Amino acid sequence: MYKKILCVDDDPITLMLCKKVIQKCEFSETIEIANNGEDALAYLESFSQKGITPTTDLPELLFLDLNMPVMGGWEFLDIITERRYNEIFPQLKVIVLSSTIDPKDIEKSKSYPMVLDFLSKPITREMLEELKNNNT
Amino acid sequence: MKHTNPRFFLPVFLTLFALIFTGMVVVTQWNNPSWQLGIGLGLALGIALFTTYFLAQKIGTTERYMAQFESEFSELSISNERFEIVSKATSDTIWDWDVKTNSFIWNKGIQGVFGYKKDQVGANLQWWFDKIHPEDSLKMSVKLYSYIAQRSDKWQDEYRFMDANGQYRYVYDRGFLVKDEEGNVVRMIGAMQDVTRQKEEEQRLRLLETVIIQNRDTVLITAVGASENAEDQIVYVNPAFEKMTGYDQAEVLHQSATFFFKRIQNKRDVKKIADALKKKEAFTLETLTKRKDNTNYWVNLSLIPITNHENQHTHWISIQRDITEEKEQEKEREQLIKELTQNNSDLKQFSYITSHNLRAPLSNLTGLLNLLEDIEIEDYELKEILQGFSKSTQQLNDTVNDLVNIIIIKDSLAIDKEPIVIRDVFENIFNQLSFLISNLNPIIKLDVDKVNTLFLNRSYFESILLNLTTNALRYSDPSRQLKILVAAKNLGTETQITFKDNGLGIDLKRHRDKVFGLYQRFHDNPDSKGLGLYLVKSQVESMGGSITIDSEVGVGTTFTITFKNN
Repeated sequence: MYKKILCVDDDPITLMLCKKVIQKCEFSETIEIANNGEDALAYLESFSQKGITPTTDLPELLFLDLNMPVMGGWEFLDIITERRYNEIFPQLKVIVLSSTIDPKDIEKSKSYPMVLDFLSKPITREMLEELKNNNT
Repeated sequence: MKHTNPRFFLPVFLTLFALIFTGMVVVTQWNNPSWQLGIGLGLALGIALFTTYFLAQKIGTTERYMAQFESEFSELSISNERFEIVSKATSDTIWDWDVKTNSFIWNKGIQGVFGYKKDQVGANLQWWFDKIHPEDSLKMSVKLYSYIAQRSDKWQDEYRFMDANGQYRYVYDRGFLVKDEEGNVVRMIGAMQDVTRQKEEEQRLRLLETVIIQNRDTVLITAVGASENAEDQIVYVNPAFEKMTGYDQAEVLHQSATFFFKRIQNKRDVKKIADALKKKEAFTLETLTKRKDNTNYWVNLSLIPITNHENQHTHWISIQRDITEEKEQEKEREQLIKELTQNNSDLKQFSYITSHNLRAPLSNLTGLLNLLEDIEIEDYELKEILQGFSKSTQQLNDTVNDLVNIIIIKDSLAIDKEPIVIRDVFENIFNQLSFLISNLNPIIKLDVDKVNTLFLNRSYFESILLNLTTNALRYSDPSRQLKILVAAKNLGTETQITFKDNGLGIDLKRHRDKVFGLYQRFHDNPDSKGLGLYLVKSQVESMGGSITIDSEVGVGTTFTITFKNN
């Protein structure tokens, strides 16, 4: 079971669904929410500003939507790659969770080292069980 | 000698005069001793002079006789020799026509050249005429008889003459008339020469010449300059050249071809031509150039170096084809392809966005309904409504997924392939369809183990068999037990899978064109979307295979799928 995860999506129903499914299968203790890439970035920045200690309660997994207003998923991934967030948050992994069917998007997601997987919406219990088994 | 030679007369006269003079002196002065010595000397001198001259004359005549005889003898022998050489060397066929009796004599040439046996050769005029080609005989005989009537010296003609095999040979015939003392024509003698080979060569050359003259491509021939720095000179241009370039023959003959190449607009191409000319190599180029009136045209230019028997480079042949039209069509085509590619890519993008926007709320619905499954609902009416809601959402989801699959199949050029065992795929499918299968209780026979493994895309192959099996189950004939037979066999270069059922069948007379079409439904079934077979065909074809259908209403349907073996 994860301690803390972050869900990034602009759709409140998707977020609600995420929360509910995650709670149901006891996937994570805490669920944080961001409405787009910029929000998520600001949330992560707040940790590095405060200063990270071994006791800092960092998110371990990030569910990321691709199509979002203000800042989309790709831009978010580009920025955290550029700013070397993998050094600041070494354990942070990203799951792309999208409704896209463009094969190019799936290919592209594989090019980011922190991206663990590309999953199609909706989020399901089976999906989370498998993630739990493979990654914890 | 019949008449007196004047050179002989003079010494004789002088000698006689000397003798008479001496005689007179002897008679009158015999007793005068002072004259006696003079008389003796005069006599001796006269006699000596006469003898000497006579002898000299005699010897000169003999020499002339000898020389004359010799020259006559040698002329005769040369002409004999010539005659022999000519008669040996001549391949002519000699004929001798007695005009009065019309009898005709041929020499051996008629056998040697034309292959007739001795007894086949006719001895009259008619035989000769019979062997002349019908198209030539009238013209030839008119010419011959008018010649005889005019009594001209020489006759010659060309006509076709039949040989022993019935083939016509081209002959060149020359003849002369023999007249009697009164000038009447008595004989005619002719020499016939077989010129078939020359004639055929001539015709071949004329044919080749027409190729150059009639050709729509221009032909330009230049002679290579005598020295290293001398410029090439145009020695021939065909009529097409004048038409294509606007320059007439008189303008360009004896000019250098350089001026012509300089009209090419791309300077790099001009350089390429110059290099090829220097290297004396054959060369081809497509380039834009100008006519005399400065209008542009695209040309395909070929340069071919020509060498003589001593392998010296003597000429260039330059062939040009006007390809303006092709170039313009090509340009149009390229533009069209560019536009189509752009349109296609726009549409693809559009369909991705649309399907994304459709799928986003749909996945929420599916997710929410998944959650609902765990909640116990007491209210019966609400339960029914939610069930309907769930089923509709499921159908919508299936449709969108099928459409999405089609878009992806159409988009992906290279797909991952892996070894597949057919029986394993079916086991998986039967698991998925266990509910439908247990309802219908069909007889399913799999005869697929003769084919070890197929090398295909797993998810596509599963989707194909799933669709076909679902169709067979969905459209079974309720009046009889459903039977499904799947057979696979290796045909060497390809593998064939037949999928046969005894279901409702499709009326192919009405629907053959539409069976594999998009949104085609042939049975009234609420679960049918009209996408299955379209998807199947797309998937089969994306893996390089083909699918055909055979079906009869009330009997059943057979699908035959063929994949190439790698």
